[in-house]
Amino acid sequence: MPMKVLMFGWEFPPHISGGLGTACYGLTKGLALNGVQVTFVMPKASGDEDTSYVRIVNGSDVEYDPRNALFPGSDMTSFIQVNSKLIPYIGLDDYYNVVNQIESGALGAAGDGRRRYLFSGKYGPNLMQEVEQYAAIAAEIARNEDFDIIHAHDWLTYKAGIAAKRASGKPLVVHIHATEFDRSGEKYNDIVYGIEKEGMTAADKVCAVSDLTRNIVIGKYGIPAEKVVTLHNAVEPNNKSVERNKFVTEKIVTFLGRVTFQKGPDYFVETAKRVLDHDPDVRFVLAGDGDMLPQIIERVAELGMSDRFHFTGFLRGEDIDTMFGMSDVYVMPSVSEPFGISPLEAMRAKVPVVISKQSGVAEVLTHAIKVDFWDIDATADAIYGLLHYPALSRLFAEKGAAEVDRLKWENVARKLINIYEKTLHHE
Amino acid sequence: MNNICFHFQISQPFRLRTYRFFDINRNHNYYDDYQNQYLTRRLAERCYLPANRTILETIRKSQGKFKVSFSISGSSITLFEKYCPEVIDSFRELVATGCVEITGSTFTHSLASLHGEKAFMEQVRLQEELLQNTFGVKPVSFCNTEIIYSDDIGEWLGNAGYRVILTEGARHILGWKSPTYLYCNPYQTDVRLLLRSYQLCDDITLRFTDKSWDMYPLTGEKYLNFLNNCKRDNENPLINLYWDYETIGEHYTADTGIFEFFNNLVDRLLADENYRFISPQDVLSLEMNPSTMHAPWAISYSGEEKDTNEWLGNELQKEAFGQLFRIEELYEKSEDSEAKLAWLRLQAADHFNFMSSKWFEHRSVKRNFDVYSSPYQAFINYMNVLNDVKLQLEEGIRE
Repeated sequence: MPMKVLMFGWEFPPHISGGLGTACYGLTKGLALNGVQVTFVMPKASGDEDTSYVRIVNGSDVEYDPRNALFPGSDMTSFIQVNSKLIPYIGLDDYYNVVNQIESGALGAAGDGRRRYLFSGKYGPNLMQEVEQYAAIAAEIARNEDFDIIHAHDWLTYKAGIAAKRASGKPLVVHIHATEFDRSGEKYNDIVYGIEKEGMTAADKVCAVSDLTRNIVIGKYGIPAEKVVTLHNAVEPNNKSVERNKFVTEKIVTFLGRVTFQKGPDYFVETAKRVLDHDPDVRFVLAGDGDMLPQIIERVAELGMSDRFHFTGFLRGEDIDTMFGMSDVYVMPSVSEPFGISPLEAMRAKVPVVISKQSGVAEVLTHAIKVDFWDIDATADAIYGLLHYPALSRLFAEKGAAEVDRLKWENVARKLINIYEKTLHHE
Repeated sequence: MNNICFHFQISQPFRLRTYRFFDINRNHNYYDDYQNQYLTRRLAERCYLPANRTILETIRKSQGKFKVSFSISGSSITLFEKYCPEVIDSFRELVATGCVEITGSTFTHSLASLHGEKAFMEQVRLQEELLQNTFGVKPVSFCNTEIIYSDDIGEWLGNAGYRVILTEGARHILGWKSPTYLYCNPYQTDVRLLLRSYQLCDDITLRFTDKSWDMYPLTGEKYLNFLNNCKRDNENPLINLYWDYETIGEHYTADTGIFEFFNNLVDRLLADENYRFISPQDVLSLEMNPSTMHAPWAISYSGEEKDTNEWLGNELQKEAFGQLFRIEELYEKSEDSEAKLAWLRLQAADHFNFMSSKWFEHRSVKRNFDVYSSPYQAFINYMNVLNDVKLQLEEGIRE
């Protein structure tokens, strides 16, 4: 009998706003390759999710009965859509902004024309109602679905995970991809913190994406250390090689990520200034969107380097590859990064990376330059070294790509299966 | 008669500070003064001073039967003069006994011998000058950086008047032959080679505190037995044992019993009529016929391979080494003495060791007092300094 997992997530490629969807894809694929059946519930599937490995079933079509979504055959993972406005990676304040915009007609939640599928009741004007709604749906699914273990990704799904556990009596694993402290620093939201803590407490096992995150879970949420395990992320192998193609003669240094406190875009700007003061033949690119963008643009103007510092907005898919293909250095100055998959994608594209020591990915990488996020001098120096001492980039291209190739989701999934088994046997 | 030769190496480098690219052409202070002072003092207190004291006592007690030799890099001597001059006094006292030989070495623990004769002999010459001024000695024996040796290096040294060279008893060179015989350079047969019995050295360097070793704990008595086994190969073995001096007191701190071990061993050897302590230059008066040893490629003490990959094994190291010697001509022409000294110091093996990617795989490579978090950072820092040194050397020509 293959192991069956009921998994609650909220995003999946290609419609992703960060690393979480990518991680969920890798993890479900890795589990499928190891013979585990995963039922993946998500609030809003779009129908164009990557189906090369997994079959995605829109929840709307299965009409409450998730078992219909499990077709016989080689496909191990099925998807159920729960329509909602949940958007990953946003805090409560941002959420209200989105809801307000939707209600004023500025933003169409279902503007892509796809049919909304409402389970029961109504979607309230606040996020907590949606979270509760998701939990109610989860309980419904858990009652009808056949599975061995529940796995919930990040805080928006924890109530759902707990509800599923109550409805089925099956053990719950919660997966911490980011904590409220990573998103908001010390100005954390009490309600979100409360839900996170509730989920971790109710869980039988807590997976953290790095030792860094594991320490936060233990230290700031008071979860017993023996219940918390580190499960580092991996990266999808990329068979198509990224084409090196530059449109400018200057060297290009890239930041790619959400423009939020957590990602340290402000440090990237100050670093750029340090480098440009000594070497004007460099262009800096900030690819991404977020609440800090206006202040970043202002700061770039203030420093008088707008001709050397470029903004691309949010990039996805092909555009990311194009960006990596142009880049000579990739920088991730995150203030607090539970894991951080994007440096792995850069390395795979043979781009040398400078990453902050305050990132989980630093725990698994050897062939990266690691600096403290606040150490602008060290970051600038690393960038300068990579741009001016070609032996460095050559060694990175050779060793970095090989290192990333060794990080496989299949191996992560094997570790996860081991965690499942221990949880099922109450070890 | 068993001849036994103890040799200790001291090669503390001038450690570089964190030198950013925006320091280039602006700041020319490359050294980490705090680290250099701290480590020099620490090593003096833990190792050099107490060990010298012990050696001096033993020499007096044995009425000159105990002999040792040292190679002390020029950088180390300069560091002592700067931060701990009593170490110099202590060595002077040892030299004055006539039982302590100071061998030649490179001036800055340099890898120049892997580049070419001119750069190497410049290092040798500068060190000779310093030894003359500091200790009033003119060495006839030579101990190269990390005991690196090749036929060419032997020939260059022979031309400069050296008659004894200390190097590794590398198995891939010796084959079935024992390092306990006397060897010579194939081109200059009057240049004698003293080969290190590295397994005997490693018994202390690598295994002294290894509890999983079946010989643990190592005692003077056990070690004497190991030495006696050399008789199997050779009726009159010449046993050459070289260590980093820091083995005593730093790598193995006093509480491991390392001082007591050496004291006990030396006492036993002095009491044993079959043993005689010699210093390297004494082999010139020994009646031994040397056989030739060919070393077409450089050998060293490093790892199992006894090659030079620890310093010039990866892209980064080769690049830095290539860039360094590409500006040799600037060194010759420039009159900026600080920049010239910096160029010499950048040749130190330590800098290249910090860039070693052997470290990527495992931590067995010796990385003493490494301040860099990765070989990449070590490389960047080194290249930043080198860039400034280059600019300063150029500047010094125009003046």
